[in-house]
Amino acid sequence: MSETLVGAPPPDPLRAAPDPPAGSWLERYAQVVGPGTLRALEALARKLRGHRLVMVNTTKTGGGVAEILHRVVLILNELGVPTTWEVMEGDERFFGVTKKMHNALHGHGEKLTDSDRAIYAERTREEAERLALDGDLILIHDPQPAGLVSLRRSKGQRWVWRCHIDLSSRDPDHWEFLRPSVSQYDASIFSAIEFVPPLPIPTYLVPPSIDPFSEKNREMETEEILAILDRLDLARRGPWITQISRFDRIKDPLGVIEAFRMVRSRRRARLLLAGGGASDDPEGAEVLAEVRERAAKAKDVTVLELAPGSDIEINALQRASTVVMQKSLREGFALTVSEALWKRRAVVASAVGGIPLQILHERTGLLSRSIEGAALQTVRLLDNAELRHDLGEEGRAHVRENFLHTREVRDYLAVMCSLL
Amino acid sequence: MTASFPFSTVAHLEYPAGRSASDLNSLREGIALVPPESLFFHITRVSVRHPRARDLPPNDFANWAASALQEPEIAERLAFAGAQPLLNLEELRASLLRILEEASSRKRAETAPQGASFHFISARSVKAGLGLTAEEPEQVVPLWPRIDFASAFYHLVEARILGPAEDDLVAWLRSRGAAKLAESAETLTMGGMPLMRLHREIGARWRRSLIPSRLLRRTEEPDAARRQEARAVVARFAGRLRRPKGPSE
Repeated sequence: MSETLVGAPPPDPLRAAPDPPAGSWLERYAQVVGPGTLRALEALARKLRGHRLVMVNTTKTGGGVAEILHRVVLILNELGVPTTWEVMEGDERFFGVTKKMHNALHGHGEKLTDSDRAIYAERTREEAERLALDGDLILIHDPQPAGLVSLRRSKGQRWVWRCHIDLSSRDPDHWEFLRPSVSQYDASIFSAIEFVPPLPIPTYLVPPSIDPFSEKNREMETEEILAILDRLDLARRGPWITQISRFDRIKDPLGVIEAFRMVRSRRRARLLLAGGGASDDPEGAEVLAEVRERAAKAKDVTVLELAPGSDIEINALQRASTVVMQKSLREGFALTVSEALWKRRAVVASAVGGIPLQILHERTGLLSRSIEGAALQTVRLLDNAELRHDLGEEGRAHVRENFLHTREVRDYLAVMCSLL
Repeated sequence: MTASFPFSTVAHLEYPAGRSASDLNSLREGIALVPPESLFFHITRVSVRHPRARDLPPNDFANWAASALQEPEIAERLAFAGAQPLLNLEELRASLLRILEEASSRKRAETAPQGASFHFISARSVKAGLGLTAEEPEQVVPLWPRIDFASAFYHLVEARILGPAEDDLVAWLRSRGAAKLAESAETLTMGGMPLMRLHREIGARWRRSLIPSRLLRRTEEPDAARRQEARAVVARFAGRLRRPKGPSE
């Protein structure tokens, strides 16, 4: 067993690659999704002529929402829907409260104190005065800026709350604090039906999406992939079975090792468990220690702790894998599955959360319900290159239609058309 | 029917239909009570989600019965019931209910594992004009490759089942006397194939079906023009014969 800890990756010139000039994103996307899809987006955008959209979240960098907004805002503007992006600012105290809220809405939380409520209300009031919220439709992302609606809504505006997180295990205390604000919106948007709490406003379902041109998903030459494997001290020769997830019990890394042990007793292969989440999360560190201990007793298992922002590394690791696993016990939407499918990888995953929307058993990947099932499907894939190829092709086609940013833009345009 | 036919695309705005199921009984109750748009979403609209599939996946009910309830026989029957995209939704509902009633009368109810319940979804179509209009039926043929898959689905399937009638392309072709174009589109649509293939095959069949009328029009042109065109065709053919065969041929 080899054990590798990857710190901040060295600077990579490709990371600093500038965005293409304005006006070219749609052309790039048209090459991926086809001109018909583009014409459909333009047709929806024409219906919105004269209307302005404002997106609001709490960070310009880091995190999935910011990543999506960077691209989606550009695409909307290129389509002729003037869209601005406002970032709600906050101090350490405010983000301490919203972090607590975020965790509690995911189901692991501490109680919200009166002081927390006061900090949230005060910052919301300050930001409501500062932010330029003068569009026809205001799209507020996630719980942190949700309170703005009661302070800044002007006549004729439509406000939509876009919730990117799974509220199915929400803490009732925190949700009761947020719900009165959310109820004032004209509509809400959730990523999957399982995440939706009861609300008195219309709710729409808009799954998240990936960017085919991001560092995590862009095409890579074999030499580049091999160079990254070398840099991470990973064997070039596989076949690699990989699970890329933060070190969390719900991702079942120990179950993955157990499934691999069964696979390894029948076939030659290597397992890579790579992910982050251990450096800033005590529970993550504990899980990582357990995983390392278990991996030490198994043959051909590598555990890799990735630094935040290791997008190129993740891209290369997925592309170098013969089988990508996502053997979670519980999941949010699990966009890592779409990322692997986009790279035409054969995927074995559990039928939980948003995974069945991405994996159609025997069509775009293979679903399993047990450790033995995961092992069985992995062996099938290792033995059958044709099956891997077919699943990979169909998986990529499925992502192209359903989980790229163009589809998310289309859904936002449809929401706007229905409200304005 | 309107004189011209403007093509539109649609975006399907999905929303919860307010019911969920954890076993065959609650699936049956849900199917009995949800609005037709929800049945349409779970059965017919599967083709919009998988336009490029090699063959169409089974509908959502069949898929759930197979994966969450581990009921392959019921899944198979539900899949077959929903395989005809132009079926009236109430007839479809009745067939699904018959299968589920029969199944629950002779089987012990299996329950889906935790977190694998079936949630009914509905969808509303947001329509937008593509700026492409056919004034005559034959004009549909060159416009067809320019429309997206959602537009093809809307004009061939959705408008027929859920309306509005003026957006039903087959009905418009019939009303304008283009029975052959209408029939080939309808026959292929009823086959329930993935949208990309349907879109391509309808386009190919339409182009072929226009060959006789094009030839007929040619016979009405002056002899000199036809002779000149024939000479050009022969010259092109001769040129191809003279060209040496390259490695790619």
